[in-house]
Amino acid sequence: MFGHIIRKEVIETLRDGRFRWGAALVGLLLVLSLAAGFAQRAEVERAHAQAQSMSWSQWLDQGDKNPHSAAHYGIYVFRPVSSLSLVDRGVDSYVGATTWLEAHYQNPFEHRAIQDTPALARFADLTAATTLQLLVPLLILLLAFATFSGERERGTLRQVLSLGVNPRTLATGKALGVGLALALLLIPAAALGALALMAAGPGGEAVADEGLRYLLLVLTYSAYFGVIVLLAVAVSALAPSSRTALALLLCFWIVNGLLAPRVASDVARSQVELPSSLEFQETVQRDRSEGFGEFPSQQLRQELLVDSVLAAHGVEELANLPFNFAGLSLQRSEEFGDLVFDRRFGDLANQVEAQLEVHRRIGFLAPHLAVRSLSMSLTGTDPAHHQRYAEAAEEHRRLIQRIMNTDIMENSRFGESYIAGPELWAEVPEFEYEGPEASWAVAGQGTAIAAILFWLLLGGLLVRVGTSVSARRV
Amino acid sequence: MLKAEALSKHYNGTPALSDLDLEVNPGDIYCLLGANGAGKSTTIRLFLNFISATSGRALVNGMEVSAEPLETKKYLAYIPEQVMLYPHLTGAENLEYFAALSGHDDYDRGRIEEFLTRSGLQKDAHHERVGTYSKGMRQKVGIAVALAKQAGALLLDEPTSGLDPEASNEFSLLLRQLRDDGVAILMATHDLFRAKEVGSRVGIMRRGVLRAELDPAELGHADLERIYLEHMHD
Repeated sequence: MFGHIIRKEVIETLRDGRFRWGAALVGLLLVLSLAAGFAQRAEVERAHAQAQSMSWSQWLDQGDKNPHSAAHYGIYVFRPVSSLSLVDRGVDSYVGATTWLEAHYQNPFEHRAIQDTPALARFADLTAATTLQLLVPLLILLLAFATFSGERERGTLRQVLSLGVNPRTLATGKALGVGLALALLLIPAAALGALALMAAGPGGEAVADEGLRYLLLVLTYSAYFGVIVLLAVAVSALAPSSRTALALLLCFWIVNGLLAPRVASDVARSQVELPSSLEFQETVQRDRSEGFGEFPSQQLRQELLVDSVLAAHGVEELANLPFNFAGLSLQRSEEFGDLVFDRRFGDLANQVEAQLEVHRRIGFLAPHLAVRSLSMSLTGTDPAHHQRYAEAAEEHRRLIQRIMNTDIMENSRFGESYIAGPELWAEVPEFEYEGPEASWAVAGQGTAIAAILFWLLLGGLLVRVGTSVSARRV
Repeated sequence: MLKAEALSKHYNGTPALSDLDLEVNPGDIYCLLGANGAGKSTTIRLFLNFISATSGRALVNGMEVSAEPLETKKYLAYIPEQVMLYPHLTGAENLEYFAALSGHDDYDRGRIEEFLTRSGLQKDAHHERVGTYSKGMRQKVGIAVALAKQAGALLLDEPTSGLDPEASNEFSLLLRQLRDDGVAILMATHDLFRAKEVGSRVGIMRRGVLRAELDPAELGHADLERIYLEHMHD
């Protein structure tokens, strides 16, 4: 019986001009957005790889100089672009593409693509994710708002129920029918996405497990569309008329897709306040010069270091130490800076994560937010993936400092002007980043996954309630 | 097969049906006559459990409909005054769908066409979309849906409205065949002539009350009309 209900729904849907036009439009947008995403990623990826390799050559070819000067010369690293970003660019445009690994400072990421974008263009930023998160649900609503109410108004519901059909069977069949009609559009789109992904190649090493991540992405969106189908069928059964059903569902669509993200940003901001960029830099600077907690000021730290080193080696003059004190002093100063950076950047990352958790929690009120969070995470374009890369880059910066400072300590004398050459620069390994696995991405999304499951359950429950109400209202 | 016991339905205290006692056995064609609002449709809707009785019982095959809403419907086929179909599907597809939902998902194309033909739908319309059908054609598909269900009881609510006299006549023939096959038929109608012609019993209703039960075989057409009008005017 299911088979017949599903088949009838699909046939009716496919013969309905509104669906054909709507599906064609959404399909076209999906193809266009995937193509645009593919081209954009390829271009950014190529530019980043090129810039990074150029910066690396410049480091190797910087000529003879003091290692600390070389540390100040530094290296630029460019964030690899996830191949999955052709589906969802997440916060990629907002977090900056590059950072400068130099002595003393953990620099924030610079060059946010959004800064180069005119304000109006932000609205036109069409990605497959936008299409999937906003337009496909709209298509589903237009497809399913009359599944029950339309049949009630037409009088066919009365006849169907007079046959002795269980209303729940009917509802399940209808939901599956809408799902199948939709699958006819979305399965080819998913296959096209997979092809684009394969064509894009694994370049960039931004994320590992791309295949698995894509599969989970397909699963996530399928679950989301399932939620929308269930809600549409339930509202269609509960609402007194098709017009009311459509109005209610459009309200839901606006609140879920357009209003909730803005409200969530405000709520997150009011619950977890982030320092401004200036405040943050000032705090870091103050911590480094004046110290924090048990750590004294820079000047005092330096004096204590001198005293303790002299005492430990039983000498009176820094010049009499068996190593160059300048190298040790630089390294100690680096290590203190690292403490400050770990603390302050760590706090900042935790605050950002707390804000994102607020978004995910609001996913229990608006499923779009939960899906958006999962989608960004699976495509490796969320703040957590960015943070992980930033940490790896910072590790590399510290490695460079250690190599330079150790060289000064061991190979030069206090007070002399020391020059090193390309052999030292080549001691620094080239920066290589390995992106996290799918399980790492999923692990941070517990709340989002719970929210989607909650909505699936709620949708199923509403359909149950709706069908029993509907059966009594013929 | 169909039985009403002191069946009543009130809407906000206004009676739509009062204390109806009625029995339709296999092989009976019971015609309910009456003006609009007499309670004919209410009776049929109560048997289908579309509305719940205020008091009394409606029984199908010995089961109370409010207690066994799905089970009792298996024994019923229903043709409403205006058969509504899915306009994007063809007549045959509509019938196939309704038949499948009533448990007959094994009918092949030949069988489906046979039911449509038996209901009087011309062959060249079987595979046209219903959106192009006239009211009479839709009504015939509705009749085919009822035939295809092969139910023990038939509930008809003005089934011949929109049919031309010839189609109406064919429908009467069909009803007699079904009666001979042992189907219990309850038909609400305005059509005295049709009731006299096919009915094995005729009930006259007014304002929710069954005023008289007659055997049309014992009456001429003029007698039936006279009795009917008497009941309408007092």
